[in-house]
Amino acid sequence: MNLTLGIFIIILLITLAITYWAAKHTRTTADFYAADSQLTAAQNGFALAGDWCSAAAFLGFTGLTALYGMDGALYALGPLVAFCTVLFLIAEPMRNTGKYTLGDIIQSRMQTPTSLLATIAGTVVVNFAYLMPQMAGAGVLVRLLTGISYDWAVIFVGVSMIVYVAFGGMLATTWVQIVKAVLMLGAGASILVMILSTIHFNPLTLFADAEHKYTARYLLPGNYLKNPFDQISLGLGYTLGLAGLPHVMTRFYTVPDAKTARRSVVWVMFLAGSFFAGTTIFGLAAADLVGQDAVRAADKGGNLTLPLLAQYLGGGKGTLGGDFMLGFVAAVAVATILAVVSALTLSTSGAIAHDFYVNWVKRGQVDSRREVLLARLTAVVIGVLAIALGILAQGVNVAVLVILAICVAASANFPVLVLSLFWRRFNTGGVVGGMTVGLLSSVVLAMIGPATRGADALWPLVNPTIVSLPLGFLGAVLGTLIAGRDLKNEQRFDAFLLQVHTGIASK
Amino acid sequence: MARNETDPEAVHASVRLLIAEKLRFLAPMTVIFMVGYIGLTALAGFARDLVGIKVVGSVNLGFVLIAFNYLLSWALAISYGRIAATRFDPLATKVITEISDQGHLR
Repeated sequence: MNLTLGIFIIILLITLAITYWAAKHTRTTADFYAADSQLTAAQNGFALAGDWCSAAAFLGFTGLTALYGMDGALYALGPLVAFCTVLFLIAEPMRNTGKYTLGDIIQSRMQTPTSLLATIAGTVVVNFAYLMPQMAGAGVLVRLLTGISYDWAVIFVGVSMIVYVAFGGMLATTWVQIVKAVLMLGAGASILVMILSTIHFNPLTLFADAEHKYTARYLLPGNYLKNPFDQISLGLGYTLGLAGLPHVMTRFYTVPDAKTARRSVVWVMFLAGSFFAGTTIFGLAAADLVGQDAVRAADKGGNLTLPLLAQYLGGGKGTLGGDFMLGFVAAVAVATILAVVSALTLSTSGAIAHDFYVNWVKRGQVDSRREVLLARLTAVVIGVLAIALGILAQGVNVAVLVILAICVAASANFPVLVLSLFWRRFNTGGVVGGMTVGLLSSVVLAMIGPATRGADALWPLVNPTIVSLPLGFLGAVLGTLIAGRDLKNEQRFDAFLLQVHTGIASK
Repeated sequence: MARNETDPEAVHASVRLLIAEKLRFLAPMTVIFMVGYIGLTALAGFARDLVGIKVVGSVNLGFVLIAFNYLLSWALAISYGRIAATRFDPLATKVITEISDQGHLR
């Protein structure tokens, strides 16, 4: 385990050096929130991959496939398909219309304080619902891997993330994500090569061995998600929820124009997509080579499958190669969490400092220098809050929060974003209606579902998106109709469309 | 820049042309990936026997469809990049020149 710590300290030193460099280049608000929009498509593509692959993707997908077969593979596919929605509908309009946050887009469309406030609520709820399980996961993971206590592990991760974000802003966050993505893809590629050489470059062997060992049932769907509607709900949550996740979408502000935003999506689809496809092979290989019993013995949820597989491939327990591979994969897992929590902290600080304080409370009347200071302080406060929540979450089942984050993103943020970009009549009433109904239906259904109440569930689905998403759209449409026509807003829509599709602000 | 002197109606008409062109391609492409992926999750939920049909060795139809969805997403991403560069970008550039031309004319 000391080897893990050693590798991790090296990664940490690299990221701190990056932060030191980034801090010197972070002066204005544009630097802090958007890395001055100077990234290339490849850089942003790697950073997106680092941003989007949480520990759930890095460790979870492999574990799910190892333990539940096809359901794990279906789980891993969704996050790639999700980028089709982003590429076709969201990435370029986002770059053309906003500045630093999701709130910017809604604000520039509606130009009402109320719609901005509703959007801030959506961002903050999604980000904290996402942040808390990441912190809890970090605590468990770092404790398992290094032996330090849960509380200290959470504090350690939280402090690192505060340092990255408060000092280095988006530039540091971006490079932490790039480093993490390169490490993750490097780990994935070496594991893949090792697996392929073990099975004589014939992937069919993996399936045959799995069937032989665990019967054909293992390769069928339904082993993890028993309710058929949960399969569809999960798929919908992914394909439409990603577009509503503020911490990923704000990455499109870091590139200079829509064309670069577009190309960066194609990059991430190949980078992250290859990794997701890889997890299916890793999972099957782990089931064959390590065995489900050993996987379960290490962690009931299968979250240590990938480190165990790496150890096996490196030569097994007690060998130098085995220990090195285990340490490497474990250290990358911690780096993965660091990259994701940093992005969440930065994006939340954008919603609080930029959207709420500067644009809502002060109506934009704050000078840039003060705004940067404010953004940094907000990041520190959010980081401290995240540490506290992470410590409180110990032993609590936080799985429901992960579902909630993606569900609220799909059911509240996504309808509001899409209708703002494409529907002339959409108005402030619609923004409030969509946010409220999407948020409430997601929270209520998740709380009375099996993820929180187990066998006492009042509602059968783990993931409520299949119901809450249509409800969110319904709320947005009804809110629009009830609020009546906002003719000024409708007249402005042509100018807004011009900006959405060409990037030219005509005011 | 004499932005206010441009004829907004002509510009907006060009923007609408660009949006119509986008819809012409993006609507079917969106339908394709949604049907491909959500259809697969529906099959996995409701048609386990069908998904379990062996195709090659122990690999069943479900895994083949999963692999197909990966390839489909990547193919759509590349096609989108091409279509955007050859069809959408020229129309967007046209809108931008219209604005600057009119600005100079008046």
